[in-house]
Amino acid sequence: MKQLLVLSIILWLSSAVKAQDNCNVFLWEGDSCRYAACRYLQEAPNYFQLTDKFHLIYDTAIMICPNYSDIYREKSTAYLKTGDWITWKELMDKAVELNPTEHLGYRGWCKFQFLRDYEGAIQDLERLDALIDYDLGQSQNGMYHLQIALALCYKMIGQPQKAIELIKNHLAKADTYVGNFDYLHLGVLYLEKGELGEAQAAFAAQEEINKIAETAYYQAQRYEQLGDEKAARKALTIALKRYLNHRMMYDPYTHQVDKIYLAQIEESL
Amino acid sequence: MKQLILDDRKIIWLLPLVMLLFQCTTEQKISKKTYPRMIGDITFDAEQDDPTFELCSGDSLAIQYYAFDEKPYKGEKIAIERRFEEQYDASRVAQESGWIRIRFLVNCKGEAGRFRVVGMDENYEAKVFDSNITRQLLEITQSLDQWKGFESETRPFDYYNYLTFRIIDGTIKEILP
Repeated sequence: MKQLLVLSIILWLSSAVKAQDNCNVFLWEGDSCRYAACRYLQEAPNYFQLTDKFHLIYDTAIMICPNYSDIYREKSTAYLKTGDWITWKELMDKAVELNPTEHLGYRGWCKFQFLRDYEGAIQDLERLDALIDYDLGQSQNGMYHLQIALALCYKMIGQPQKAIELIKNHLAKADTYVGNFDYLHLGVLYLEKGELGEAQAAFAAQEEINKIAETAYYQAQRYEQLGDEKAARKALTIALKRYLNHRMMYDPYTHQVDKIYLAQIEESL
Repeated sequence: MKQLILDDRKIIWLLPLVMLLFQCTTEQKISKKTYPRMIGDITFDAEQDDPTFELCSGDSLAIQYYAFDEKPYKGEKIAIERRFEEQYDASRVAQESGWIRIRFLVNCKGEAGRFRVVGMDENYEAKVFDSNITRQLLEITQSLDQWKGFESETRPFDYYNYLTFRIIDGTIKEILP
């Protein structure tokens, strides 16, 4: 329960602290509108992002500068976290309309993470990719590079080969961001295509980065396809041990693609 | 058109006046927009809510599902998914698509209540789904009885939770979050 309290406090604080923009950036750009709204938000009291007070303050900031896209995105978060997707989308559409390169990645990621709107996410991420000449960047929670998210969307709409190519191309880049589950997803894609050698290589790479229950679970499936029941059982035992030690895919808000649950391991043993 | 650019000193000097002006001119407009105490709050409605469902710490202290480091359903989310797989009958519903979200409260004893349903089409617009879809989803959600109750050393916790159903042609494709 102490963990619960600590987590609650951290979540509250992280939600309550407003983006500490350097308002002077707007001043240097000659944008007195956003500068005034930014300063207003910096001076205003901090409130938890779900509260009415938070939204009234941000509404005032919108009155000061209606074209300040970040404000709409900040307001949208409360609706995202409470499942009011209609209001969330209205606010995020406004943010994207005002500043597409800044907000398309976030909107696309949320469509994928919270709604499994794969086509909508692909549209946003590919539109962003076409607009910029720099890196797509990472997901809001930092777990994924957005190209990996894009690949997973393609996987989920039945285009595994496209997903594999996107992941491979991303991982082949020098100095790129490698997420905690990238090689696991690649391995599962190969496994589902029956390319067991490639799957093994990806799972081995995953083990170097992050030893989680899912890798062992899918390794067991690979061994089963090879007819090696003994190795499969051993891998499942490892998966169970890791799961019970909380070494598995985890996201406080939702579940990831390829996540497995304790019941699935126990039923396979 | 000549662009008005003010230097830093002038802006800082003018800022309080600008704020005051905006506050004066916007107060009336802002006051028209009202929010619940917290976005997503579900207050008791005698017409649709079970009067025997009670929160342990009152409405104002209910927290959000993601505040827990422990998943709040016994058997994890797969147990919920399996209940819907077993009980939802897609053969007797309209071939509609979109999302349906059911939000509710869970009290410290693990009892759920105050269910609210919202439908949305594939363009993120409000949608009223075939009642055979909505009613089944609501009834199965209401029948879920393995929510965990939580309490600290100082007080019991009530929390908000929701299920979002990705519906394609009347079938459940995904359950989130």
